[in-house]
Amino acid sequence: MEIHEQSSAGRGLEHREADEARELAERAQLGDTEAFGELIERHRNRAKDWAERITGDPHLADDIVQDALVRAFLHIGSLQDASRFLPWLHRIVRNQANMRLRRGGPYKKEKPFASFGPSNADPDRVEWDDLDSVLRHLTRSAADAALSGQDPAEHLLRKELYETIRSVLHVLSRKERSIFEAYFFKQLSPDEIASMYRMTTGSIYTYIHRSRQKLKQERIRVSLGLSPEKGGSAMVGSKVLKLPEHPPHARSMTTFVDRVGQLLAALGDPRETAELMGVSGFAFRMQISDKATYADGIYMFDWRQTLRTFLGELGYGATMLCGQLAESPVPLLGAVERFPVVLPIEEAVLPFIRRTIDAGKPVLYFDTSASRPYVHEWSLIYGYDDERRLVHLTDAMKPEGKTLSYDDVAENPVRFLAAVEGGREPAVGPPGAVWEEASRRNAAARALRFAADYARNARAYCPMTSYLSYTSGLAAYDRWIGHLRRGPGSPPNRYGMGQLAAVYAEAKRYAAGYLRAVPFEGEAMRLALLAAEAYEQAGEAIGEIASEVPFVRTAEAMAPELCERCAARLEKARNFEAAAVEYVEKSLTLMEKGISP
Amino acid sequence: MNETNDRNNTNDRNDKNDRNDKNGTIEIRFLTEFQNLNNVMDAKASFERDHPGVRIAIEQATDHYESMQAFKSDEAPDIIESGGWALYNYKGMFVDLLPYVDEVPGLREDLNPGVMRVACKDGHLPGLPVDVALPLIVYNKEIFDRAGLAYPTEDWTWDEMIELAKKLTVRGDNGVARQFGFGLGVDIEEFEPFVMRNGGRYLSPNGASARGHVDQPAVIEAFRMLVDAYRLHRVIRNPGEPSEAGDLHQGFAMVFGFAWFVGNLVHHGLGDKFGVVGLPNMPGGERSNMIYMGAAGITTKSRHPRLAWEFLRHYVLERPEPFRSPWTLPIARSLAERSGLTKHPLWSRFLQELDHVRISGFYISEKWNTSRQLVNEDIRRMILEGADVAQTLRSWTRFA
Repeated sequence: MEIHEQSSAGRGLEHREADEARELAERAQLGDTEAFGELIERHRNRAKDWAERITGDPHLADDIVQDALVRAFLHIGSLQDASRFLPWLHRIVRNQANMRLRRGGPYKKEKPFASFGPSNADPDRVEWDDLDSVLRHLTRSAADAALSGQDPAEHLLRKELYETIRSVLHVLSRKERSIFEAYFFKQLSPDEIASMYRMTTGSIYTYIHRSRQKLKQERIRVSLGLSPEKGGSAMVGSKVLKLPEHPPHARSMTTFVDRVGQLLAALGDPRETAELMGVSGFAFRMQISDKATYADGIYMFDWRQTLRTFLGELGYGATMLCGQLAESPVPLLGAVERFPVVLPIEEAVLPFIRRTIDAGKPVLYFDTSASRPYVHEWSLIYGYDDERRLVHLTDAMKPEGKTLSYDDVAENPVRFLAAVEGGREPAVGPPGAVWEEASRRNAAARALRFAADYARNARAYCPMTSYLSYTSGLAAYDRWIGHLRRGPGSPPNRYGMGQLAAVYAEAKRYAAGYLRAVPFEGEAMRLALLAAEAYEQAGEAIGEIASEVPFVRTAEAMAPELCERCAARLEKARNFEAAAVEYVEKSLTLMEKGISP
Repeated sequence: MNETNDRNNTNDRNDKNDRNDKNGTIEIRFLTEFQNLNNVMDAKASFERDHPGVRIAIEQATDHYESMQAFKSDEAPDIIESGGWALYNYKGMFVDLLPYVDEVPGLREDLNPGVMRVACKDGHLPGLPVDVALPLIVYNKEIFDRAGLAYPTEDWTWDEMIELAKKLTVRGDNGVARQFGFGLGVDIEEFEPFVMRNGGRYLSPNGASARGHVDQPAVIEAFRMLVDAYRLHRVIRNPGEPSEAGDLHQGFAMVFGFAWFVGNLVHHGLGDKFGVVGLPNMPGGERSNMIYMGAAGITTKSRHPRLAWEFLRHYVLERPEPFRSPWTLPIARSLAERSGLTKHPLWSRFLQELDHVRISGFYISEKWNTSRQLVNEDIRRMILEGADVAQTLRSWTRFA
């Protein structure tokens, strides 16, 4: 029994490892160097074991792994199935090992990877232990492949990456180049680089900083395609997508849903906001910080999983880039706490933005420089301009949109970018057919099941960060009321109150709107309509708070009488919502009886 | 020395300018990340009473990010109070308070040297520590009495603690624990004092690297002992493990408890049922402990630094009231005396431990701090899946 359990656990571990490797490989394929660094870190020992088993020489195995990892980095774009990363890496290690063995062991005049000799005179000959030579070769190959029409977008993207790296190396002094290379590819700590070059850590930081400054100042990346020896201007691009009208009445203050709706509309698939709020579950969510009336509860959910599920319900997939920077305070820690720690380098994000926009799709982007009264919001990047080094994006408070520099995007402390993949499945069969109706009913039942379960779950989202906790569902009302009644010595957070009231009043109204449109029949529909009415009333009660405590940036304190008025309105709203949830549950019971055989 | 004089001259100049503010009333803007405003509201009331013409405007920020945004804005607050140390590592954000401290006769000596050792960086004090807490082992005397076991003493070892915990872990026929011998969270920070006491450190002293530190034998040994306590001895509740032991103050014989845990016990009238003892001695034989604290500092953008200092001093150092029934520890010895904590059977032990505190990895490396939950996921793997400890710790060198 024990053995069985262990082997099950072992299998579970393997599966998870494979899943994580796949996810990292996918990110690495999109140009995320940190993801590749993570892959290296996780699998370096395993790769060395493989190499050592083939060669029987631990020192040679180290060299083989080094080569194999460089090759893996440079070729990861060619990996067809990201879930096969480990077997693919195994094959590279095996090939490298066999090649070395065929050559009779280690090269006699081997140079370590980090040292750069003079470049090769023969342009067609590739020195695989010379990164510069490898990059030149791959850049050429990618350009050739792009010209010959083999997935041109992908190859151009990779060409751009290689060119970028090469250009950095050419501009820097030899020492800077070595240090930057060590930092960029191996993700060595400055301490380690310092010991490698017998320098102080401080001077390594200076070198890295100076190298990156050079990169920025001279706009190497922008001028890549314009330089005479390379010819052409293919790599300097700009594109601005035209977003469809997004009238105020169709907007939602739940900007996560609002931007997805706007994004789908841009893809020619406009949806009703009430439908999106219902399907995503955000019409039914309410979450309050256990600390105070801060508004951060609005943002506390699993962003990656929620977006995948939400888009999945709508017939789409998603590709995401996630991360958090270590160099500046990170907002919404409870939501982003498990994002990988990434470096503020634009190569990790700009290729993703360019590729998505070049494909005619805006990028869902978490903007931490949102205009007041917001602190941060989801937005859509709908254009980029390499020459001016800026992106165009939406802002909830600026209907005309705004721009951010490439540096701003790279240095955003929360990295969350998503592209919608795939398309809505075309309907099979005549419209109005029985199966289609049943499908819509099932989708609505799923949304309402989420609503009912969420309402009864006081801990819908629990961050790992121990000092952050949130109360959700119907219990959130009690938490909120509790904050309002803590007494004059500890008044609630006024600014957060304004946003909570505005967002949740609107959400309840969307809940009502969604329920009125569910394709239920008979008694189930009657109960859904009663639930809609109760949600409407809950929304009105919270809306009264929103009128009295508007969403504005202010430091003023709330008077005790105002706190009590708000608490009383929340009690009223809670009673209406409790009734709404009961109606939803009854309606679901009828539906499920009808749906189940 | 010149730098200090310059700073004081600047401060004086700013404060002279302040006197020209609107209608003679000077506003000190105090931004706090703490949710409970009672303490600062009390300090505001007494300070404004003693300083006519001064108004303390209290604002809240949700997190460090909002505090930083406020600092970067054109309307930066005079004082920022933060629950953690991350902001105080940013160069140029806070003024050095040591020159102000030194102006007050006897104050430097009155400040707890253990706290100051951690709070001062490069000879500067960016904020007055607040919300100070450290962990000890809090044991439930009733549980020990029922089992007929002697209470732990200061000379106990880790192995002795595990033996006690085994005897005090009680499982039902279904294998579900009704009582656990030891209560400890799965968090890299909570493991750190045991690592320190074994002679290990997560990071280099300047926080720049984990390589050569977190992957060293003293850390690996301490981690193996900790992981064994969960996985092998099962005296600590494993992540996700069913339990009938109730809350920490109910079915747990010994608890790795911070000051606020004891504050809660005392607040609920349970103080007499519990005792405290130092953390068990590890094979490395070092007497060290971690310390948790936030701070309140004067921003470099403050137009009223001297007045802001006066308020800070009043708020943090002059009022014994918050420590009469505390959750955290005072940073001045006189305050500990005046509030009666030095004579309290539980609190006095916490105060003694301040002599042995060391700086944690989280205070010196933001990358390490940011990676905390990724590290914690790995700890769960070690506990639940038996992931190799040494290999996992080696892999953490990427987090700093």
